[in-house]
Parts: sequence; structure tokens; C-alpha cells
Amino acid sequence: MILQPEDFWSFYEWLMRPESFLESAFLQGIVLFVLAIVIGLMVGYIISANRYGPGEGFYAVARAVRDLIRFDLPGTSAHRVFALAKLAFKEAIRRRVLFVVFLFVGLLLLAGWYLNPESSDPARLYISFVLTATNYLILALALFISAFSLPNDIKSRTIYTIVTKPVRATEIVLGRMLGFMAVGTVMLVPMGMFSYLFVSRGLNHQHSEVVDVVEEADGTLVGETDFVQDHKHSFTLYSDIDAEGNALGTYSGLTDVVRGHRHIVRRDADGNFEILSPEPLRARIPSYGEIQFYDRGGNNKDAGVDIGAERLDAGGYGSAGISRVIGLSRGSRKIQHGYVEGGTLGKAEFTFQNVTPERYPNGLQLDLSLRAYRSYKGDIESGIRGSVTMKHPTKDIESNPKTFVINEYEVDELNLETDVQGTDNNKTRDLNVFEDLVDENGQLLVIIKCLDRSQYLGVTQSGVYLRAGDNPFWWNLTKAYVSIWLQMAMVIAFGVMFSTFLSGPVAMVATFACVLLGFSAEQVYDTRHFIDSGIERGGGPIESMVRLLRQDAMTTQLDVDTTAAKVIKTTDAGIVYSLDAIATALPNLPKMVGTAEYAASGFDIFGALLLRHAAATLGYCLLAFIISYFFLKSREIAA
Amino acid sequence: MPNFALSIRKSLTVDTDSTVVAESETANAAQAGNGDSDSGVVIETRNLSKIYRDFWGRKKVNALKSLDIEVRKGEVFGLLGPNGSGKSTTIKLILGLLFPSSGRVLVFDKDASETSKNERIGYLPEESYLYKFLTAEETLDFYGRLFDMSGAARKQRVSELIELVGLQGAKHRQLREYSKGMTRRVGLAQALINDPDLVLLDEPTTGLDPIGSREMKDLILSLKKQGKTVLLCSHQLADVQDVCDRVAILDQGELKELGRVADLLKVQDVTEIHTQRLRPEVEAEIKAIIEREGGTCTIDNPTATMEDLFLNIVRESEARPGARRVSGTGTPQEAAKEDQKTEESQGEAGQ
Repeated sequence: MILQPEDFWSFYEWLMRPESFLESAFLQGIVLFVLAIVIGLMVGYIISANRYGPGEGFYAVARAVRDLIRFDLPGTSAHRVFALAKLAFKEAIRRRVLFVVFLFVGLLLLAGWYLNPESSDPARLYISFVLTATNYLILALALFISAFSLPNDIKSRTIYTIVTKPVRATEIVLGRMLGFMAVGTVMLVPMGMFSYLFVSRGLNHQHSEVVDVVEEADGTLVGETDFVQDHKHSFTLYSDIDAEGNALGTYSGLTDVVRGHRHIVRRDADGNFEILSPEPLRARIPSYGEIQFYDRGGNNKDAGVDIGAERLDAGGYGSAGISRVIGLSRGSRKIQHGYVEGGTLGKAEFTFQNVTPERYPNGLQLDLSLRAYRSYKGDIESGIRGSVTMKHPTKDIESNPKTFVINEYEVDELNLETDVQGTDNNKTRDLNVFEDLVDENGQLLVIIKCLDRSQYLGVTQSGVYLRAGDNPFWWNLTKAYVSIWLQMAMVIAFGVMFSTFLSGPVAMVATFACVLLGFSAEQVYDTRHFIDSGIERGGGPIESMVRLLRQDAMTTQLDVDTTAAKVIKTTDAGIVYSLDAIATALPNLPKMVGTAEYAASGFDIFGALLLRHAAATLGYCLLAFIISYFFLKSREIAA
Repeated sequence: MPNFALSIRKSLTVDTDSTVVAESETANAAQAGNGDSDSGVVIETRNLSKIYRDFWGRKKVNALKSLDIEVRKGEVFGLLGPNGSGKSTTIKLILGLLFPSSGRVLVFDKDASETSKNERIGYLPEESYLYKFLTAEETLDFYGRLFDMSGAARKQRVSELIELVGLQGAKHRQLREYSKGMTRRVGLAQALINDPDLVLLDEPTTGLDPIGSREMKDLILSLKKQGKTVLLCSHQLADVQDVCDRVAILDQGELKELGRVADLLKVQDVTEIHTQRLRPEVEAEIKAIIEREGGTCTIDNPTATMEDLFLNIVRESEARPGARRVSGTGTPQEAAKEDQKTEESQGEAGQ
């Protein structure tokens, strides 16, 4: 998982974008609301002018707006909303939607059929499986119950007995939305619990015996566990000592990490071994730093070495808000690995904030997810080596480099001790990290280099972080479920909105189209990026069709005559730009689905990220609510 | 001497619509004088028209053409007409379920599109469009909540209404298990949940058995007694005749007749005499007198309505369960014999 720059934004940065307000979510929201209001008024006027004539039509629109502000919003009663929500809830429950929970449990029971037990990281597999299954089941369910309910009531005319009571359109819409959200909540809770049980019980196992235990020359015990669930561990045990340094006769230690977990192993004075259950699942709380690259000559650079066409392929503007739609955002904003050349002055320098003894009482834990790139084969058996150095941000004090071997596709966990050897103005001395290397603002530099000449080490900003602590897994899973809940709320709001003026199946298709377009937003952004930058990547829909029929490659020049090419490209640009505008107006669901990836990779889901999603969901629900109100209010229920 | 109860009713001559209106206005002016703040008019439609259009705005049906009616406080007003005459459209326009193409509807002096008018309205739709997955009690509780009723008041009202419509035994069953008549009762109960001042009933007696329909009519009359206004539309003419004070007859979206039921049904040039146990000699004498005056006359035993017969039989069988002696076989032969008998007796009487 490579985090993009926007993933690091705090809630405020996302909302306001202090340096580039054009990209801010706030502006995007305002523009969306204003556009919705303007288009709404225009469409409303056209419809009512058609119905009542130009003059009377104007008054009808004005009256509708006045009614909302003067009567319907202030007159909305919590009691009635609650009654209607309860009705929607009962309807769904008595229509046996809870069946979906059983379906989910069934899916978990049969999961063994399609989850590979020999996976190298079963935790990731299990977690992403339960989250994906929950996500799609709940979204599909939300789609169905929200899109069909109101049209069904209108078709069966039960709505007649509702609207002839003192019930306002606001209450009908709000009641539905809240009722269905309650249904979703009632389903997500047991699904979450089953998921937790499935993951934690499914990963739990016990090694009962040790084999081949040998006492090494330095007094440590080295051995292996037995083979359980397609894996075994090797371990090293150290003799336990009391405060005076006397051996107690017992040993303890950790196994190596196999399949994403390790065990604590103990040996008592009688020589009996005990292997504990695997360490509980964790959610790492990363503290990311700012990254700065230096090239082989030691000059600072914006990016690392590009070892291929990574940057070109990256594509996409990302979510640049309004600025992309109006064409002000140029160039790729996607981050890929930047590489550091080995054996030169090239390095990647991370500045970490807020490094205090209170935050890191047990020393600094540095997690590395790096890539290696070999420009020659070398010794393929041993990995490429890198080093980590801690440095004072301003003074010339640094620790001695700590070397490590790059482990690709896994997280390397380096323990940086707080008392280290280092150099202070070229004089060697003992250093304390917090006293000597961290400046008065709590900043610390960590420098990563590649040691092998002409080999490369790839880093990203999110690949290197200090681990401030761990959150329990259940809490992270809860946050992932909150994210699913937010997506569900969004789908329900859209479903109810469309169902106020479309028939059930059409409302469902419309909602589905919105979800789909929301899901492919990033691809639309990418396509636009390629069209804007003149990069041949298959072009827009028509160009792609032509290429498909002619069996042309994606990256070649479009092989048709100039006029035809011009027509095709212009039409395509029109289509892609419109899709881009629509996709920007829709909720960015993949970003929200992506939060599951955090949980699966064992990262704590940041509060800021959830808060952003929550704010966006609230905004869209509000918009859907207002649109639904006008449609329902202006609709002839009995027509 | 037999006890003669002679009642001779003679109607005023009604020739033109204008007199009907004039007369009914005077009749209602008296009612309005009872001192009501609403100036007596509960529903008023002004030049009300409705044109159904298709998706493209093309005219499909002109369902209602410039309807002007007034429903006054405390009366039972009937809308009559064949299918497609615009009665349902009128009710829907009054409720705000449809928007008028032109003209206006005022209910309690408020525009029909205003939600607040519904506080005082009870509506029983044509078929009881209720949530089948709720029980009777839940249904009524739900509609009570929509009126923002407090918990205690709601509970009391719900149990009152369940008793009123006689569903105590079935109140915990889901409506999907109900018979048509039972659903109808729940529909009625929900229309009365807010103790409305105006009750709109769309075909109130359809789908009900004779007992149910009698109960419905009794209920309408009792609502009237409580001073409520009732607007109903129906094509069960007998029902309308039984309960309505005034009727409007619609056909093809146009108002064809409007007036007091009693007045409209009066046959101007026929006189009806009701007596008991008339001896044949007296009968002959009366005939002779009328013939001398140059008139014609038929004398016959009046027939009771089917409704009365049915209700009598049911009441009797409830009082005394078991087989009842059937008065005739009802075969065509017997019917023919009966007819012959009457003809003979009439013939005798005629001589």
C-alpha cells in the first residue's frame, strides 16, 4: 500500500487546503451545493412553467423554496421522523433482510474453500476477505432497500395514508434514510462480531513442541517449533537474569515472523518449553515524516531516481477537487517509489516530528517497507543492504549507521536503541537519542542509504515511519466497519433520492451507476491526465473502440487520417471531461473502500481519514436530502 | 277499528337547478348559524379542473371540468357518479394528492397543498392501503405518532378505536392475514385516529358484507351526530341515499346535479299513501275516488329492502342458532306461481 500525498492530510488540510484553496474539499462542496441549487431552480422553473405557464411557474418555484424554509424545515418533527424511521426499519426487518447476515455467516463458514491456507500473510487475506464481503453485501442491500421502498409505497398507494396525515416531505425523506441506516447498523454489528471471531479464531493456533534445540556458545538456545498449519518457526531464547545479572535458570525469547505472526517461547528451570499463542493482531500507529531525496552528488532533489517509467505510468491527478475539473491542475500527482543509488552520496532523509521519550518509552521502532532494484545481478542469494542513521536536524551530530538487509514486500521492523554510539563533530562518543539527536522542537532526522554500489533502494514517504504504538485489532476493525457504514449511508441517501422521482428498478440502476462512476473516478481522472498530457494510453471511449476494432496497441499513434483523428479525439475529450465533472461531483467511494486496506495491512486507520469520510458523507446526505425534498414535494403522489 | 297511520308526503315542486341551490343554501344557512368560526364552509372548490397529461405534456383526459362545490360543517355530502366521472379525482384534489390544473381547493380555508390542514382530516382510501407487515395495533400506533400524539393519549385512542371497529381479538395479527372486511375496519380506524373534524371516505362500503356496510352507515350517521363533516364518494346508490344530506352527481368530469337528497329524489307528480291493514272495500273505494278524479292508481304491498331482510335473518339466527324454516324454494316455477297470484289479486282489486 503506497499512501498518496493526500492521504497524509489532516482533516483541516483536506477541508481547506491552506496553500491551494482551489483543491479544497470545502470549495468542492460549496460549488456542488451552489450548482445543485442553480440547476435545481432552473429545472424546477422549466417544469413548473410548462405546467402552470411562465408567470405562475415562477411563483410555484418561489413557493416551494419558501415552504421548505418557512414551514417544512422548522415544522419537521423528530417524533414523526422517528415513527417513519421505525416503519422503514420494521418493513426491512419483516421482509427478512437479516437473512443477509446468515448469508454472510455462511460465506465465512465456507471461506476455507477459497481462502488459500498457505498464504504468506493469512491475516491480510482473512481481514481483507471479511471486509470486502461485508462491504459489497451491505452496499448491495442498501441499494435494494433504499431504491425500492418509496416507489413500492407509491405503487401500492400506502403512501396515500401517510401524506394525508400532517406529515411533511422532509419527514418522509429523513425517516426513510434514518430507518434504512438503522437497518444497516443492526446488520453491521453482528457481521463485525462474526468477522472479528473469524479472523482472530481463524488465525489462532498452538505449537506444542520444540525440535532440534541446541545451546549456542553464547548461552542462547536455538531451535524450531513443530509444524502446525503449514508452517513452523525458529527461535532464539536468552537466559533470564535478575536485577544483579545472575542467571535465573529460565529462558525466554521470540520466534521469527512467519506468515505475519510470531510466538513467545519460554523454558522453565526444569527444561520444559512453553510456546504461547501467536501475538494478537495489531494495528500499527505510524508517525510519518517529511521526505527529502539527495542525488548521487549529494544535491537535494524533489524526487528519487526513476528506475523505469514508474512516474509516467502512475498517471492521474488524484482528487484535486475543482482545480482539476477546470483544468488548473497539471501533471501527475501520484507517488511511486523514488530510488536512492547505492554507494554514493544519494540518500533519502526523513524528518520526524514530535519525537519524545513519553511517546517512545521503549526506544524508537522504525518500520521500513522498501523496494530493491538491481542494475546487475550480483549475489542473488543475499539481499541488498541499506543503512539507517539518526541525525540531529541542525547540528552535526549523528549516530553510527545501522545496517539491514532489504526485505521486499514485508515490513522490516528495526529497533533503534535510545543509547547509541555516534559522532559529534567527527568525535566519537556515546549518544542519547532524545538528548543529543532530537532538537528542541522534537524533530529527528533519519537517513536511509543503499550500501551496495550501483544497486538501488526504493522508498516512499509512507514506507518509512516511526511506530508510536499499536492499537488493538478490534478497534481498527471497528473503524473499518465505520467506514463501511459511511459508504452505506451514502448509497442509502442516493437510493432514496432517486426513488423520490424514479420507479424502483430505475432508481436502483441510477444509484448503481453513481456508485460505479464513483468507483471508477480515479480511472476517469487518469484518462483525462493522459489526454491532457498527450500521452498515448488508448485515449477516450471512441478511440479505444477504434483501437479495439483495428487491433491496435494502446501506446501507438492512432492510425487514422487526420480529420478522423481530430473528430475522434475531440469527441472523446468532451466525453471524458464531462465524465470527469460528474465523477468529481460524486462521492469518491474507492477512497473509502480503501480504508479496508489499512486494516488488512495492519495499519491503524487514521482518525483524520474517517473524519474526512464522515464529513463528505454528511455533505452528500444533506444534498440528497434537499433534492429528495423538492422532488417529493413537487410530485403528484396520486398521478 | 284498525289503527290507521296515514302519512301523505308531498314534495315541493323542483324544476330548475337554481331553485335547488337557493333552497339548499337557505337550509344550510340555518346550520351555519350555529356559530362556527369556520363560517360553516369546510371544503370549497373554485372552478376546479384537472387535466391528466402524459409524460410529454400532451392532454390525455379532462378528468374534471370547473367544479364548484361547497361542503358545509356538519353535513354528510355525497359525490356520486359512474366510474371515471371524476369523483376520486375530486377527493384526491381535496387531499392534495393531485394538483389542480386550474382553480383552487380550500379545506378549512387553507390551500389543499398545505400539510397543516391534515391535522383535522381523516381519510379512508378506496381500498385500505395499509402496511401489511404491521399488526392492527402497530398500524394505529404508527398513524397516531404521525399526529404527534403523546404516548398515553395514543395508547388510549388506539384501544378505543380497536374496540369501535371490533378487532379486539385480532389486534396482534399482521394485516396480511386479515380478510378484506377486517382490513377495511383498520382503514377506518386509522382515518379516525386524530378525531378528525372532516372525514373523507372513498367508496366506504365496497367490499363490506351487508352487516359491515350497515355498521359503516351507522358510523357515518354517528359522526354526523358528533358534528363532524363527512364527504363520501360512492356508486352504491342505496348507501348514499341512506346517509347523505346532500349529493353532487358527476359525469364525465362535470357537475350534473347538486342538492339535498330528499329533494332530489322526490317525484313531483306522484302521491304515495302509507297505511296499515287496508280492508278491500276501503281499497276499492279509494280507487273509485281517484278514478273519478281522472287519475290512475296501483295498490300494492310494499317490499322491504334486501338489506332489511338480510339483517333480520342474521339477527334472528344469532339469537336462535340452528336451522331456519325457509319460506320458499326460490325456484322459477314458484316465482311464476307467486307472480300469478299477485296478478290475480290485482285483477280482483281492479274490478
